[in-house]
Amino acid sequence: MRIAERLRRLQISAGAAVAVLLYVLMYLVYAANESGVLSQFGITNLLNDTVVLAVAAAGLTLTVLTAEFDLSGIGVIAIANVVVATTSAGPAGWLVSLFGVLAIGAAVGLLNGWLVGVLRMQSLAVTIGTMIACEGVALLILAAPGGQVADSIANGLTGDLLGLPVAALIILGVLLLWFLLAVTRLGIALYAVGTDETAARLSGLAVRRTKLLAFVLAGMAYGLAGYMLSAQTGSGDPRASDGFLLFMYASVAIGGTSLMGGRGGVFGSVIGAGILTVMQKMLFALGAASFYTDVFSGLIMLVAILIGTLPRVMPRLRRSVA
Amino acid sequence: MATAFQELSLVPTMSVALNLFLPRPAVRFAVLVARRRLEREAKTLLAEYGITEIDPAAPVADLPLGQRQRLEIVRAMFRRPRLLLLDEPTAALSDRDWLFALIARVLAEGTSVLYISHKLDEIRRLCSRCIILRNGSKVLDRAVADMSDDEIFRNMAGRSAVERFLATPSSVRMEVPPAMRAANLIGEGVDDISFSLQPGEILGVAGLEGHGQSRLFKSLVGLQPLRSGRIEVSGTQRALRSPRAARAAGIILVPEERKSEGIFKDLTTIANISLPAIERASPGYLLSRRRERMLVRRVTAEVDLPEQYLPLGVTALSGGNQQKAVLGRALMAGARCLLLFDPTRGVDVGAKQSIYRVMRDFVEGGGAILFYSTELDELVHLCDRCLVLYRNRVVGDVHRAALTQEQILSLAAGHDPGATRTTLVKA
Amino acid sequence: MAPRVTAATTEPSSEGQSTPPIHRRINPELVPGLMVLVCAIVLIAASKLMNPGAGFTQELAAVLGTSIFLVVASFGQGLTILLGGIDLSIGVVIGIAAMMISVLTDGRDATLPWAVPVTLAVGAAIGVVNGVGIALAKVPPFIMTLASGITFYGAGLGFTSGLAQEPVAPALERLMNGHWFGVPIPIFLIIAFVIAATVFQNGTSVGRKLYAIGSSPGAARVLGLPIGGLTVLAYTLSGLCAAIAGLFLAGYSSAATLDMGGPLLLPTIAAVVIGGASVMGGRGIYLGTFAGALFLSALETIITVLSLSQGLRDIIEGAIIVGALLAQGERWNWFRR
Repeated sequence: MRIAERLRRLQISAGAAVAVLLYVLMYLVYAANESGVLSQFGITNLLNDTVVLAVAAAGLTLTVLTAEFDLSGIGVIAIANVVVATTSAGPAGWLVSLFGVLAIGAAVGLLNGWLVGVLRMQSLAVTIGTMIACEGVALLILAAPGGQVADSIANGLTGDLLGLPVAALIILGVLLLWFLLAVTRLGIALYAVGTDETAARLSGLAVRRTKLLAFVLAGMAYGLAGYMLSAQTGSGDPRASDGFLLFMYASVAIGGTSLMGGRGGVFGSVIGAGILTVMQKMLFALGAASFYTDVFSGLIMLVAILIGTLPRVMPRLRRSVA
Repeated sequence: MATAFQELSLVPTMSVALNLFLPRPAVRFAVLVARRRLEREAKTLLAEYGITEIDPAAPVADLPLGQRQRLEIVRAMFRRPRLLLLDEPTAALSDRDWLFALIARVLAEGTSVLYISHKLDEIRRLCSRCIILRNGSKVLDRAVADMSDDEIFRNMAGRSAVERFLATPSSVRMEVPPAMRAANLIGEGVDDISFSLQPGEILGVAGLEGHGQSRLFKSLVGLQPLRSGRIEVSGTQRALRSPRAARAAGIILVPEERKSEGIFKDLTTIANISLPAIERASPGYLLSRRRERMLVRRVTAEVDLPEQYLPLGVTALSGGNQQKAVLGRALMAGARCLLLFDPTRGVDVGAKQSIYRVMRDFVEGGGAILFYSTELDELVHLCDRCLVLYRNRVVGDVHRAALTQEQILSLAAGHDPGATRTTLVKA
Repeated sequence: MAPRVTAATTEPSSEGQSTPPIHRRINPELVPGLMVLVCAIVLIAASKLMNPGAGFTQELAAVLGTSIFLVVASFGQGLTILLGGIDLSIGVVIGIAAMMISVLTDGRDATLPWAVPVTLAVGAAIGVVNGVGIALAKVPPFIMTLASGITFYGAGLGFTSGLAQEPVAPALERLMNGHWFGVPIPIFLIIAFVIAATVFQNGTSVGRKLYAIGSSPGAARVLGLPIGGLTVLAYTLSGLCAAIAGLFLAGYSSAATLDMGGPLLLPTIAAVVIGGASVMGGRGIYLGTFAGALFLSALETIITVLSLSQGLRDIIEGAIIVGALLAQGERWNWFRR
C-alpha cells in the first residue's frame, strides 16, 4: 500500500510499472545472449540508441497528457537534424545549434499550441499539417542527405563524461526535469486538463495556456531529440526521422500513458522507448530476423494498452460483485 | 465570489488537498508544489470545517459522493468570498446540519450567500429573501417570512402550459396484461423497484435530482445492467439487455440528454426521424428518399413538426422541435411503451402542448407511457398514477385523484412521513 | 475568427411557419468539396498555362490517372473518420497488397482470378482485426491501427524481403497504363469507384447508420444501432480499399515494395479533412474527400511542373491543411461546446 502510494505520488502508473518489469526481463535476456552487454561500452551503446526516441517520446507525453494529439514531432526532429548538420561548424557551433533547435522546437510548439489550445482546432489534423510543413522546411534547408555535424557534438554526446555515458546523463536530465515539472503548478494543471477539462476550468485553471505550454515544451523536447539524432548520425538527413512517429506513440502507449489524457507520465514513456530499443537488440542477439522487431512492437503496444485499461475496468467489476 | 457547483468541479484523479487549493496551490523554492505542506494545511482546514474522516492525500475519485460535495463546499467557503454561490449543495449531502452551521458562520462574517435549492424547508431555515425562477424568468422576489408554503409551491409550479391543456379522461385498460411489469429491480442506483404499467396508462415518476430516476429509466432499456429482478412485457418475461432488445419489445426511451443522446446532431431532421425505419425506406439496399419522406410524414403530422423543417440540419431547430423529432423517431420505431425522461425540459410552451397531446394520443391508441418530469404540474395533470422516488426507492404510489404537487414534493424530499402514510396506496 | 454563432439561433424562435433561409437549401456538406474541387480545377488550369506544351485534357488526364490511389484509399479512411476513428494501417495494407499481388501472380495473367481475391481478402482481414480490437476490446482507434500497422508490416517483412522479386501480372499493368477510346483506363475506374462509394455512403441504410453513429454515439446507443458491427464493417472496408489501392499501385509502378504505401497514409487523412469532414465524426461526404484527393494530386502535379522542390511542396501542403481547418474554424468551436 505504501509503495503504491509513493509510486502514485511520482505519477508512475501501473502501466509504467509493468513496463519496467518488461524492460528488465528483456535486458536480462539480451545480456545472457550477447557478450559485452554489461560492459561500459555495451551500456553506452544501448543508451545511445535509446536516447533519441526517449527524449522525443518524453515531449510527446506532455501533449498526450492534456488529451491532445501531436504528430509534428518528426517534423521538428527533421528540421533540428538538418539545422545541426548545417550550422554546428565553428568553435561555438554546438551551443549555437543547440539553442537554435530548442528555439525552432518552441516556435513550432507555439504554433501548434496556439491553433489547438487557443483556437481550439482538432489537434490530430492540425499537427499533421504542421508536421508536413516542417518536413518541407527541413527539405528546403537540406534537400538531400549531407552536411556535417561538428565533431564536438558527434563525439562529445555519444561518449562518456566523468565516467558516465552522456546519453545516460541526458535521459536522467530529462527525467529530473519531468519530476520537477510534475510537481509544479503547470505539471498539475497538465493532469487536471487532461482528466476533466470542464472541472479544470471550473477550478480556475487556465486550460488554454496549459495546452499551449504543453505543446511548446513538447516542441523543445523534439528539438533536443533532433540534436541527439544528429550526434548519432554525424550528418544531416531530412528524411532521417520518417519512421519515428509510430515508435514515439508506441513508446508513450507502452509506458502506460492514456491517449485519453490525464493518466501516465514521462517516466513510463522513457521506459517505453527503452523497451522498443532493447527489444530490437534482444531479438537480434537471439538471432531472430529483424521483422520480429516490428511484430513485437505492435503486439507489446496492444498488450500495454489492454493492461492500462484493466485498472479502469477492475473497480467496476469489483463493485458489481459486491 | 466563489461557487460550489452542483455538478462538482473537482478533478477526480487528483488528491483532496490539491483540489482544495487549485488553481494556485502553495509552492516552495518558487516553483515546486509543496504537497506535504498542502496536505497538512488541508487537514487543518478540513478539521476547521468539521471534517476529519477525509484523507487529504486520497484522490477525489475514491471518495463517496457526499464527501466530494463537502469538499466542493469547503473549497468555495475557505477563500472567504464576499459572495458565496451554493447550487443545490444538499443534493448528495446526508448531514445537512453541518452545512447549515457553516452557512451561519459565513453569514456572521459578512458574506452574502446565494442558495439554490428545490427544498422548501432549507429555504425557510436559511434564507431571508427568496427569488423564484420559472422557465428562466423571475416570478417572485420577496422576504421568506412573508410567504406561505403554499404560495411558494404555487409560484414554483405556476400556472403553466399543462394547466391550459385540456385534460381528458383516463384511457387505462385494465382488462389486458400490463404493457410493462417490473418486479424487484435491483441494480446500481435502483433499489428494489416494482411497478406495473397498463396499456393506455401514463405512469408518472417523480423524484428530486439524483434519486435514481435516471438509473431506473436506463435500466429498463438495458443501458445499465440490473443485478436482479424481472421485467414482463405484455405478460411475457423479457430480458432487456440492450436498447436493441428493448426496441424489439416495443420499449423506446426518450432520453434525458437531448443533445448527446437524443438527436444526431450532424444529420438532417428527416434522417433523425427515419433512422429506426431506414431499412423500410431502402428497398433493395438503396435508400429511396421518396419512401423516406412518405414514412416520416406520417409521424411528423402526429407530433406537429412542420414539414419544412425536415430537410434542415436538426441542430437548426429549436429545442421544442428537436424534441418533437425525437418523439417522432420513437413513434417511427414502433413504440408500444414509451419511457419519457423529462421530455419538456428546455422546450417552449407551444411545443409542450404538442408533446402533451402526443402523449395523450399515444395512450388513447393503447400505448403505455412511463413519464418522469422535473415539472411537478405536468405529473399532476397528465399522469394516471405517479411513483415517487427517494434514495433510489419507491416511497409513494399516488393515484390521480390524490395527486398534488405538495404531496409529491414532501414525499420526494423524504420527510413528512405523515403525508406519506396517508397517500401511500398499495400497489 | 468569426463570432460563435450556433446554428440553433437561425430558426425563428416563434412557432411561426416561416420558410428556412435559402442558403440552408444547398446541402452544406457539398460546400467544402465544391470549393476544393474549384481549387483543384484552377490548379490544373494554371499548370496548363505554365506548361503550354501540354493540353488541358492531357493535364487533367494525368492528374486524374495518378490520383486513383489516393481516391480509393481515402474512401476507407473517410469511413473510419466518419465514425470518429482513424485508420493508420492503410499505408501498410497498401504495401502488403502490392507485394502480395506481385508474389502471387509472378508475372502471369492466368493467376489473377485467384490472386486478386486472395489479396483483397487479406486487406479486408487486417481491417477486421482493427475493427474487432476497436469495437470489442475498446482499444482507441489511433493505437489499434497504429499497432496493427506495425505488426503486419513486420509480418510482411517476415514473408518477403520487403522488395518483390517477381514482376506484376501484365494485365494489371495494362489496366493502369492503358487507354480506352484515348482516355486512360484509371479514369473510368475512378468514375465507377466514386459512384459506387457515394451510393454506399449517402444512398444506403448502412451509410446512414454510419453517419448516425459517428454523429452521436450516445444517441446511437440509446436507439440500439449495431455500433460494434458497423465499426467492424467500416474498418474492413478501409482495409479492402487500401488493398485495392495497393493492387493499382503495383500495376502502375510495375514493381512492388512493402514501403510503397507509406507516403499515402497522411494524404488520405488530409484529403478527408480538406474535403470538409470532421475528425470528430459524423460529417463529410465522399465527394468532398474525392475533391480533396484530386486537389492534393493536382498540387503535386503543378509543383512537379513548376519544378518546385519537394520541400516547398510539403510546406504548401501543410499550410493548406491548416488553412482548410481554419476555414472551418467556426464549426469546430460549435462542436467543442
